[in-house]
Amino acid sequence: MNKLLAAILVSVGASGAMAQGADLKVAIDPTYQPFTFKTADGKPTGFDVDIANAICEQIKRKCVFVEQVWDSMIPGLQAKKYDVIISSMSMTDDRKKVIDFSDKYYNTPSRVVVKSDVKVDDAFGGLKGKKLGVLKGSTQEKFALGELKAKGATIVPYEAQDQVYLDIKSGRLDGTVADSVEVGAGFLAKPEGKGYAFAGPSLDAQQYFKYFGSGMGVAMRKGDKLKQPINDAIKTIRANGSYKKLNDKYFTFDVYGK
Amino acid sequence: MTGYYLTILEGAALTVAVSLASLLVAILLGLAGASAKLSGRKPLVAAATLYTTLVRGVPELVLMLLIFYGGTIGLNALMEALGSEQTIDIEPFAAGVITIGFIYGAYMTETFRGAILAVPKGQMEAAWAFGMGPLRTFWRITLPQMIRYALPGFTNNWLVLIKATALVSLIGLQDMTYRAKQASAATREPFTFLLFAAGLFLLYTWVSLWVLRRVEARYSLGTKRGQL
Repeated sequence: MNKLLAAILVSVGASGAMAQGADLKVAIDPTYQPFTFKTADGKPTGFDVDIANAICEQIKRKCVFVEQVWDSMIPGLQAKKYDVIISSMSMTDDRKKVIDFSDKYYNTPSRVVVKSDVKVDDAFGGLKGKKLGVLKGSTQEKFALGELKAKGATIVPYEAQDQVYLDIKSGRLDGTVADSVEVGAGFLAKPEGKGYAFAGPSLDAQQYFKYFGSGMGVAMRKGDKLKQPINDAIKTIRANGSYKKLNDKYFTFDVYGK
Repeated sequence: MTGYYLTILEGAALTVAVSLASLLVAILLGLAGASAKLSGRKPLVAAATLYTTLVRGVPELVLMLLIFYGGTIGLNALMEALGSEQTIDIEPFAAGVITIGFIYGAYMTETFRGAILAVPKGQMEAAWAFGMGPLRTFWRITLPQMIRYALPGFTNNWLVLIKATALVSLIGLQDMTYRAKQASAATREPFTFLLFAAGLFLLYTWVSLWVLRRVEARYSLGTKRGQL
């Protein structure tokens, strides 16, 4: 009786998919160059995508990429639209309440960026009176409000990191807190980033874990049996050199972090 | 570079398809809702009032997430409870069309209700006196006259609906706004692609305004200009 009812439900849903297939459905939000983005001919690419393929190769499944907007990433996972998220998702405590993570597969530190003539010490002294733009709802915003506000800096939240760069350019901001890879390629390497530099220490020390989590991991539903095989796969590609090959394809430094 | 423009154009086709299909759903729901509200039967009036109050009071984004993800999670939990290994996947296009149609049906209900009220009651009474049934009265007498009154509000709803289709990217459909965002992220040139998408939206609304003006002219035949 139950089987029959289940069969009816499947036929009502436009496509019933077996949960245990050969395909591993991987969610990405391809708007985060160079980790996940799309080439001009519409193919998903980037460091996350390559890592996903390397993991799939190890666990003998075929990666099928599903594009999903960031806002509905976790609901989509819970609704079983896909099996895992491999899209530069930080493993924060809030997220760990609702989903499981693998071990980290990379961890790029966030950094403070201000004009290069501003003197900033290791405890972020010297930022008094400076206005820093951050992405609203981001780990960097939490850090800035938790640490830099007490040092006398003003923290201004923005809807998108692009807008932060625009406002630095127009002179309304003195700097930002952002992922070092993002701010490196999106701002420092561009003409408008001239005269700006990283300030203070790199934010991947233990004392900042409470803001930034412990790096990026593969996200899956709570209690999913995929966790062990994926952790093993990450260990294997770290050991056999395929990780390094992918790392060097995109970066001039080690993104795995400490 | 041109590749990105092409993918945005593909997204534009999806936007047009979603908006037109949603409009159809919204019109049907709007007519049903308006008839229910004007029927004078208590349960029907109550149901329609609940519908318009609830839907117009809750943000579209929240409704979209609730219906699509909430619905799927609920169905899958039910499947698990029934002991099935399979998972249900609601087709995103249908889900997007139904959700947007459901939301804008509530706005259409009010637009159509106002338009029907604007048709003099004597028109319908005359039709009944000729022995026309309720359906025939609606098609022959009420509908052709209410269209003129409904059009200004209808046009507003339609323009807002077109822009609301950008929400379908939340449920995994790649409409033109989402494609434009992807292109700007990949190239780090936000304005180029967002302006292109904005231009396409403008073209689409401009064409629909032109069509709606023609419809308005057609249904205003026989009425003096500036009479209202």
